[in-house]
Amino acid sequence: MKKLLAKNETYLLLVIVVFCAVITIVNPAFLTVENFFDLARNSSGTAILAIGFFVVLLSGGIDISFPAVAIVGQYIAVNSLIALGVDNLLLAFAISCTIGLAFGAVNAFFISVFKIPTLIVTLATANLFHGAMLEFVGTKAVNTGQLPNSFKSFGLFNLFDLHRADGSAYGLSVFFLVLVIVALVTWFVLRRTLLGRIIYAMGGNSEAVRRSGIRVTSVQFFIYCYVGLLAGIMGIMHVSLIRYSNPTYIVDSELLHVIAAVVLGGASIMGGSGTLTGTLLGVAMISILEKNLVLLGISSYYQQFFVGLVLVLGVSITHIQRRVRSRKQLAFVRD
Amino acid sequence: MNTKRTNNVTLLVLFLVVTGLISAFLPQDFLSIRNLRNMGRQLPEYGLLALANMLAMITGGIDLSVVSITSLAGVVAATILSQYASIALPVGVTIVLAILAALAVAALCGAFNGILVAYAGVPAIIATLGTNGLFLGIAIILTKGHGIVGFPDSFGFIGNGNLLGVPVQFVVFIVVALLLGLLLNRTAQGFRMYMFGSNPLVARFSGVNNELVLIKTYVTSALLAGIAAIIIISSVNSVRPGYGVDYLLLSVLIAILGGTDPVGGFGTVLGVTLSIFVVQVLQSGLNILGFSPFVKKFTWGLLLLLIMVFHFYRARYQQRWIARRVVQVKEAEVPTPPG
Repeated sequence: MKKLLAKNETYLLLVIVVFCAVITIVNPAFLTVENFFDLARNSSGTAILAIGFFVVLLSGGIDISFPAVAIVGQYIAVNSLIALGVDNLLLAFAISCTIGLAFGAVNAFFISVFKIPTLIVTLATANLFHGAMLEFVGTKAVNTGQLPNSFKSFGLFNLFDLHRADGSAYGLSVFFLVLVIVALVTWFVLRRTLLGRIIYAMGGNSEAVRRSGIRVTSVQFFIYCYVGLLAGIMGIMHVSLIRYSNPTYIVDSELLHVIAAVVLGGASIMGGSGTLTGTLLGVAMISILEKNLVLLGISSYYQQFFVGLVLVLGVSITHIQRRVRSRKQLAFVRD
Repeated sequence: MNTKRTNNVTLLVLFLVVTGLISAFLPQDFLSIRNLRNMGRQLPEYGLLALANMLAMITGGIDLSVVSITSLAGVVAATILSQYASIALPVGVTIVLAILAALAVAALCGAFNGILVAYAGVPAIIATLGTNGLFLGIAIILTKGHGIVGFPDSFGFIGNGNLLGVPVQFVVFIVVALLLGLLLNRTAQGFRMYMFGSNPLVARFSGVNNELVLIKTYVTSALLAGIAAIIIISSVNSVRPGYGVDYLLLSVLIAILGGTDPVGGFGTVLGVTLSIFVVQVLQSGLNILGFSPFVKKFTWGLLLLLIMVFHFYRARYQQRWIARRVVQVKEAEVPTPPG
């Protein structure tokens, strides 16, 4: 019990439960299976990006190029499918993921070989990848009519269906299954393999890891390629969700959402600490807050304000706690 | 201090080469008064934001809320300005009032950032990410998402007028840059900022009030965003929350391109100003050559990577050179064994 109280995740879960209770009291329409299925469908993509960002953050780096990678991946995949006349979802995933892996490798190359800070590399490559795609591939959005059918059926595919009172069906989207698989794989890598332990250790002290004889370069290649891969997957999911391929969409907004979610989930921006559960709870918190303010009768103009407010309050509380703790231990570390 | 100077020399050479090349190929278009004026009008908008980020980076932070502060300050100024007909004050007084209000709001935003970073101990990247949403949110709530138009004509002078043939905002930019140079190199606050950025613990044990230094830094940075807000709303003659979102990453990029170390302790006004000029000249050149705005994005990314790779090789070369010198000196000092 004491262990549970010391955890950041417990508090986050508590806040989410209280928040849900408040919404339910104001508007009972919130607490329906349908609404939660809807939430799972809409935020699975964000959660996958958040998992990738979380892994990078754990290793003590930061990657801000993943939204650009997701856009480039999906846009090139959609356009190649149209150009080839093939309507195959697997091919789309293959193209998008290959692009993600390649871009991740580019990031890892500059980070490991030239020792450039990760923020600078990914800031540069985000501009590079997105600019290159807009210039050399195209700038036209692909609308629903032109979009290959496999995307649309993927977006509408449900794991199982339930029926409303009037007989119409709704169900849990396949996106949720993708998220569960990604989360399980990431959990396994981080918690059950040597690689995962090294990633945690790198965030704590990268130099110590290097001196204990581990090839930091290969680990960095794994981390950034993994984020690229996840961004590639998310790109395809996003097109299938909104049934529309836009080459300029989601660049900045998604980046800020993902960072906010991961940080709210208790991951340290300095690396080395944080849990996958926390990250997923962070995504849940941000998504519920953002998509359900309308149910509270609050105008959508307030959405931006509340997301910012929650982030500021959330991180302030955790950091003040940390600061008080380090004061008690007389540790003059910069927190 | 040596690397500081060489970085600026690199940028200066880059600036001269780029300017030289573009002028040689496009003398009529690029060197025309109209184009030079255009460049002078565009540059301060994001240049001020880049300087703002440089200040935060010198203390080891970053300011991701600059664009939102610009929006909020712009909305406040615009609200006052659009009421000029109903306020029983001379137009000039209303304009001054609007400018002061914008700067005051910006300073408040900056103080809030500073308190979060200094007293709550939140890393700047997260604190300003949060306030970025918060400030923009307030701006959106204030305007209900609409734009504000209808400013007094004389207010347009800041964004569209000329002083002795030079665009007003460019003059403002140069004056601000000079003042910042003075702040960083000639005042105790500037010295403490570099000191805090290099090693906060040493700064604390040297009797520096770290919290106050941070708050002042973020207030200054926000004031620059406030000045940018006035310039922007004057030149586009309206305000819309969220204007200039693209400037956020660009301003971070320019600050780093200008040799600012995002880890802290390092950064010069001259370096960042040079990198602002490089970016603006390239931008105009690519525009005149008929490239799409997307090539610019690509170019900024490439430029940043190339500069960093160049720094890497230069540092390595310098290290080797120093190592060789040390070996030579040591060999010369070895006394010949007696007998």
